[in-house]
Amino acid sequence: MTLISRNGLTRRSLLKTSALAAAGTLATPALLRAQSSELVAGCAGSHTAWMEALVVPHMKKTLGADILFEGTKSSVNLEKMASNRDNPYLSVVQMDDPVMIQAVEEDLLAPITAEAVPNMTDLRPDAVHMDGMWCNYVQPWAGIAYNTDLTEGVPSWQALWSPEAQGRIIIPSLQNTEGMWTLFMAAMLGSGKPFAEAQYEIDAAFAKLEELKPNLLSVYSTMSQAFNLLEQGEISMLSGSFSSYALPRKAEGVPVDLAAPQEGIFAMPSGICLVKGGPNAELATGYVNEMLGAELQAAIADFATSVPANTTVTAGAVIPDGVQIYSPDWAFVSQNRREWIDRFDKLMAI
Amino acid sequence: MTARVDRIALLAVPGLAYLAVVYALPLLLLLAKSVRTPDGLSLAEYGAFFADDYNMGVLARTLRVAALTTLLALLIAYPTAFAMARARGPWLTVFLVAMVLPMSLGVVVKAFAWSILFRANGFLNTALQGLGIITEPMRMLFTETALVVGAANVFLPFMVLPIYAVVRQMDSRLPEAAASLGASPWFRFFHVTLPLTLPGVVAGSAFTFSMAISMYVIPSLIVGERQQTLSMLIARSFLYLRNEPLGSTISAVLLAIAILVVVSSSVLARRLGARQ
Repeated sequence: MTLISRNGLTRRSLLKTSALAAAGTLATPALLRAQSSELVAGCAGSHTAWMEALVVPHMKKTLGADILFEGTKSSVNLEKMASNRDNPYLSVVQMDDPVMIQAVEEDLLAPITAEAVPNMTDLRPDAVHMDGMWCNYVQPWAGIAYNTDLTEGVPSWQALWSPEAQGRIIIPSLQNTEGMWTLFMAAMLGSGKPFAEAQYEIDAAFAKLEELKPNLLSVYSTMSQAFNLLEQGEISMLSGSFSSYALPRKAEGVPVDLAAPQEGIFAMPSGICLVKGGPNAELATGYVNEMLGAELQAAIADFATSVPANTTVTAGAVIPDGVQIYSPDWAFVSQNRREWIDRFDKLMAI
Repeated sequence: MTARVDRIALLAVPGLAYLAVVYALPLLLLLAKSVRTPDGLSLAEYGAFFADDYNMGVLARTLRVAALTTLLALLIAYPTAFAMARARGPWLTVFLVAMVLPMSLGVVVKAFAWSILFRANGFLNTALQGLGIITEPMRMLFTETALVVGAANVFLPFMVLPIYAVVRQMDSRLPEAAASLGASPWFRFFHVTLPLTLPGVVAGSAFTFSMAISMYVIPSLIVGERQQTLSMLIARSFLYLRNEPLGSTISAVLLAIAILVVVSSSVLARRLGARQ
């Protein structure tokens, strides 16, 4: 029964007002949705500098598109895609290969085809994955970043374990893709096997990582803070660091350098993909086409000291001579990564 | 029966609707995820969470850090609130600005600033070495002490302001009356002033503890991944392990602790109010 209150306000009118207020709250995101010339791209936090300087103006010039980008970790981008599966707001995502595999398994990606993205045909064959579910665009190389005021160089990955480095090392968490490099190198050093076999020796890797604990100042999940500590001399070495971040800082005159130790270095698996059902599909394929094109590849490769995937581009980083560059079995990583993260966090906990 | 709805109640409707949509509903979904399994409803995730030594260590650290942060903030805030209550004119403005202005500064900036101060060649180590207290730099960064100090700094206004509000309303003649009856300064403080200000202490402690127990950015930047807190475990579960039941379970545990603190402090404050 609806009863009239002293002020003429009924319970029904109160409920109506509440419903309208709730509807208004729910409707707000629709009002804020992107306009047709806008494209939302997910990328890594470390991409921010070249996204702002190169990609955003390039896409405005060539496609007339306004690019909004969200810089975060690949795993976070994956979670955003999965959580918004029914109503995606990201159109394109730049993330790492092992996370791309998970995204394919969860049916979150739309394939990239040569018809829609002609520049795809200029890529190295190994830069196109799973029949075009994603492509690598530029690839930085990863080694050990070090403070040049404190260390003359890092000839071997074994330097991370040296007694002189006690409390002076930071390594990435396995939450970050670059965290895998320390794990795999620990597997090589711990098992004594070549990389091709050692990458599957995960028990040996964790045993070797445990020996690293006295030398650790911290384990990072936010690279910028860890790199700042390296620049300030709080630590002497930062494991798993990569060329697109470390070498531009060196070029700016900061006392850091990136070592390519004798045991080998790693290729960062930077990929780009189309989000299945993402808004502005045509603009999204245009974006991917430009990212794989010679002009933008050359600019990014130079800016971020990376190796271009487009074979017509001669600019960019040069892989250091005389060292092996490794690319692991990402399917194996993708399959086991969650278990490794859990094991790693428990092993490294204080 | 007559159900009366005051028109004033309408003022709360937008806020309640907003909270219902962006807070209560997701919270219910979250709680549902923590007990839903393919075989039906189950508390198995809770059992697994509490059976894991690592999780228990994280829970203990989270509670310890929140308690120490609250204690440190209280020790600093209590005398500060009295100084503010006594301040007049421009000094009061200075105090209030000093309390409120830092709140406009992002927590990331504050946490990063503390990480600079705690470095081996940072201000604190340099000062201690300069004073001859230590000869070699002390390890401060990435320690629990650093986390407590940094967090207490960030949450200090939330402790000071409730105590200040109570102290300001306190009848200053009551301690004077006690003095006139021969009470010593210690007796006056413990038997008159402190009981009168306890409601502010309880409110400030509840605020600070609730925020300290759920902080994420501050521990992420000051102690890193090796000393995780419950909030960091939640993020790790959802984003990296992609284990929604575990993340939901930890969220529910954190929520239960926060509710316990808020309800207990509310009951305590009411009892203290009734006693006075």
